[in-house]
Amino acid sequence: MFVQQLVNGLALGAVYALIALGYTMVYGILQLINFAHGEVYMLGAYLGIICLGVLTSVGMTAYSLPLALLITLVVSMAFCAAYGAAIERIAYRPLRSAAKLSPLISAVGVSIILQNVVMLTQGKEYKNLPPLLPSSGISLLGANVSPVQLFILSASILLMISLHLFVKRTRMGKAMRATSQDRVMAGLVGIDVNRVISTTFMIGSALAAVAGVMVTLYYGVVHFFMGYLAGIKAFTAAVLGGIGSIPGAMLGGFMLGLIENFGASYISSVYKDAFAFIVLIITLIIRPAGLLGQKSMDKV
Amino acid sequence: MNIKKLLSILVLAAVAGCTQQDQNVIRIGAAGPMTGDQSKMGIDLRNGVDLAVAEWNEKGGVLGRKIQLVPGDDQADPKQAVSIANKFVNQKVVAVVGHWNSNCSINASSYYDAAKIVAISPASTNPRLTRQGFKTVFRVCGTDDQQGGVAAEFAVTRLNPKRVAILHDKTTYGQGLADFFKKAVETKVNVVFYDGIQTKDPDYKAVLTAMKEKKPDVYFFGGVYPEAGRLVRQAKEVGLTVPMITGDGVYDPTFVDIAGKAADGTYVTFGKDPSGLATSKTFNEKYAAKFGPPGPYSIYAYDAANIILTAIERTKSTDGSVVADYISKNTFHGAFGDISFDANGDVTKAPYVVWKVVNGKFVEEK
Repeated sequence: MFVQQLVNGLALGAVYALIALGYTMVYGILQLINFAHGEVYMLGAYLGIICLGVLTSVGMTAYSLPLALLITLVVSMAFCAAYGAAIERIAYRPLRSAAKLSPLISAVGVSIILQNVVMLTQGKEYKNLPPLLPSSGISLLGANVSPVQLFILSASILLMISLHLFVKRTRMGKAMRATSQDRVMAGLVGIDVNRVISTTFMIGSALAAVAGVMVTLYYGVVHFFMGYLAGIKAFTAAVLGGIGSIPGAMLGGFMLGLIENFGASYISSVYKDAFAFIVLIITLIIRPAGLLGQKSMDKV
Repeated sequence: MNIKKLLSILVLAAVAGCTQQDQNVIRIGAAGPMTGDQSKMGIDLRNGVDLAVAEWNEKGGVLGRKIQLVPGDDQADPKQAVSIANKFVNQKVVAVVGHWNSNCSINASSYYDAAKIVAISPASTNPRLTRQGFKTVFRVCGTDDQQGGVAAEFAVTRLNPKRVAILHDKTTYGQGLADFFKKAVETKVNVVFYDGIQTKDPDYKAVLTAMKEKKPDVYFFGGVYPEAGRLVRQAKEVGLTVPMITGDGVYDPTFVDIAGKAADGTYVTFGKDPSGLATSKTFNEKYAAKFGPPGPYSIYAYDAANIILTAIERTKSTDGSVVADYISKNTFHGAFGDISFDANGDVTKAPYVVWKVVNGKFVEEK
């Protein structure tokens, strides 16, 4: 059972990690907790289920499933990236020089709007997708790793490596790091700060879209309220790893998934949500900046 | 100064006008989850009451007054249920059909009792609701001790398991039902696993994998359809192929919508199929013409509303204690069949039967 729970936990953790990256990247640059991020993930899941539904009805999934998944991922990522950039432009940029609390409240507002828009246009009920991939996959040390789990793990690790390389190796990545260190100075040396911030939102939202599509494949159901809990969990993961730190969000996500799974299976699933938060509290007492976070003097 | 005075007079007049108008209608509350993931149930309930109210209004209302439906959305949240109850008390509602969830009904019931408002729940099955000594609280469905007993009896005699696992959703209804099932089954069969799950959690693979290790022959779930749908679906994915037995909270086509093919083979305890009755046929047709296909509890809500309105008409009174007294002593001919109540306010006969999901449809097990 141990290996099976390890696989289950890693798959769940990969989803948390992908969402957590969006929180941490935005926080790193703007010191803003983007509470609408969970809703972007929910939109990604809805786009995933709609796209896969359409592709199934035209026979695309039967023709080539990997191609259908690729199209779904690209469509969902593109839509969510546009959403992310639009949310930033409309709800956060006008408030950038306002008091720190204003964009936070704006974020909560965006989150409520997105939830209700989806509820009114897509309905209050669960939407479901019949399983596209078989549930029995490869056997590993007595555990069954399903094709969906394999897809989640490989795709998320691939994305995380690409993100790491993007931030460390490219010009835009360098500009992002500079902006996160000091926004005003970065502007003075000629970095287009607005573009950097837009790009950050787009990347974070695209990663959340991938998480949404993965969850659609994994659980087969979506609901307009699904972004709330996932958002809170991913935010916890980001804080656990050290908010503002990209490797921290990945570590935090995987840790959270594993803690939840092992806690639920070996102690009791009654307290599944509590385990994650107990570990968070202990971590914050010992290391207030999170596992990989850096201590900062001026940020509250 | 003058404008202020004028305004206050206008406001007073408006308020007086409102109360004047209020006395001409009889208000009936309909409470249940109308938003959130159990919203279908609350809307089914409200529509059932709506149909009954519309029929009475066509006949000219009751006691010469029109009937007005006042919906209350408790969001399946017991805290919200209390504020809905307070709202009903303030609005001078005469009677309430609701709530849907047991914990909501139980929390709200003391407010209805204190204000002498008749409250008939169409769906709350936790026994505690009617065992608090409240004279104005009734239900038109069965109770979980009856239901858990029927499920246990069916499991033991028909499925012949050696090992049974039990899950619940930690709510008053879900855990209560699971405990009644456990009590009825544990003297005969080995209960190898007992645990609760978090509602709204998308992922149940951890607990299902742990349960699979115990090798149960069948598992019981006390809870509602959103969770049950995800559970059976994920159970198949972790390789747990034994059937699920569950209660009335899962009896709805949405369960099949969520679970897909994995729903097949699930056993659900629920009331008998009323479609043989002529009265239920007319109900189904009228309801379908107005709102679409009726939900599992629409007919219960419709009957509850009719019982209330009949009692008001016969007693010529809107006093809650008088109406409640009449309800407890008489037999009513509902769309669902004859209904009468025992001293607690429970129905005297609540026949639960077992249904099985076959090819995505609920079929009564003979």
